[in-house]
Amino acid sequence: MAEPTKLLIVDDNEDILSTFYEFFNSMGYEVKTAIDGLVALKLLRDESLFFDCLITDLVMPNISGVGLISIVKKEYPHLKIIAMTGYGDQPGSLASEAQADVVLFKPVDLFKIEDKVSKLINPQNDNTED
Amino acid sequence: MSTPLIGVSKSILKIKELINHVANTCLNVLITGETGVGKEVVAQSLYAESNRNHKNFVKINCAALPETLLESELYGYEKGAFTGAHRKRPGKFQTADKGVLFLDEIGDMPLALQSKMLHVLQSGEFSPLGSDHELKTDVWVIAATNHNLEERIAQKNFREDLFYRLNIIKIDIPPLRKRKEDISPLIEYYLRLYKSEYPNNKGTKPDSDTFAKLCDYSWPGNVRQLQNCIKQQMVLNSWSKIFEELPKDPAENIPDIQTDGQENGTQPLEIDELADKRSILISEFVDLSTSSDKLFEDISLKKIKKIASDRVEKEVITFVLEKVGWNRSRAAKILKISYKTLLYKMTEFDIHPPVK
Repeated sequence: MAEPTKLLIVDDNEDILSTFYEFFNSMGYEVKTAIDGLVALKLLRDESLFFDCLITDLVMPNISGVGLISIVKKEYPHLKIIAMTGYGDQPGSLASEAQADVVLFKPVDLFKIEDKVSKLINPQNDNTED
Repeated sequence: MSTPLIGVSKSILKIKELINHVANTCLNVLITGETGVGKEVVAQSLYAESNRNHKNFVKINCAALPETLLESELYGYEKGAFTGAHRKRPGKFQTADKGVLFLDEIGDMPLALQSKMLHVLQSGEFSPLGSDHELKTDVWVIAATNHNLEERIAQKNFREDLFYRLNIIKIDIPPLRKRKEDISPLIEYYLRLYKSEYPNNKGTKPDSDTFAKLCDYSWPGNVRQLQNCIKQQMVLNSWSKIFEELPKDPAENIPDIQTDGQENGTQPLEIDELADKRSILISEFVDLSTSSDKLFEDISLKKIKKIASDRVEKEVITFVLEKVGWNRSRAAKILKISYKTLLYKMTEFDIHPPVK
């Protein structure tokens, strides 16, 4: 049995955060959540933890999603990144510029995100053309 | 020596932690907060903790300079770029290369310069005025403002794309009245600082009653106002006189003590806002951050009247000129002044038609 995929989910909306937590947990993922960019960065820098994929909101207090993505790309290049935004095109295009692997616009379908995660982590599973 | 970031409140501790985590990322930072809360102190701390601290920290105040001057200060110019450009001059983007460029009062930057700024932030390239060459620059941009930029965006006074590009790391510093537990360490710090700077001064420490009063005051001018009070004490050595001079504290009428993280749910007092608005308005014409001796020298109604009316005149003239497509004789008629007066005022206030 393979190790479960480890996710870090970041959003400043606690309701979204708990919905995501419940969903991914039930799908067999190991999930940690963070309420803003700084909390997320502290989890990432905690050496006892390891993550495969980061799912982050973009507009947040202190460290924005775009900031978090830039830091992660530089310091943890193995980590796959999915960015979500509800604020129009601006933050989304900055997230692409910061090299997020996938940028999604809210509202997003949880099953669609799960599909993206699994394709990012196991590219061989991706038999469909996107 | 730059001032350290002083405070024990939850919000200041969090800011310190944030600085510690992002100082080496060189991601654009936007610092917000009321006048006097210590935005520059935070910028200096970011710089001091970064690996750029052996390079320049270059500061520019975007509200203090007229548009054309601000542009040439930021980007520099070639010899002969405009009348008076006798020799080539490097801009702040060049002097701050590999270091930090602190853009204070970014919310007041004119729209035309905002788009140019956006271009530099996107590409890392700029060209000095009068030059065809693009220069590369590697600056860490830290911007600060006391405006609510979201509001400025809604009013079409600030570019949304520039906002998101600056707002990568956001540091919001709450006003001192919302983190009263910081007042005591700030008093201690400035007392010690001025005692060591002026060992012969006769200013005494506050006794416990005075200390309590100081901690209770609402400090509309925030840390800077508190700092000035302590400086004053070093000269006057009379806390009672200092209290007399403090703008009346709305908190004395209705107790409304707020501490970090526990808002009591009441609306901010209107009178407090009025006092804030007043000091913000006055601070546009007089530097309220100086000691009160110096301040009282600077407050001359005649001088302020001149500065204030000049500013309004400049805006009105530019407004009318823009409306009539820079047709001067029409503008003069509308403004009910002579053509000659208009030309004179345009030179005096440095009003130019936009360069095509």
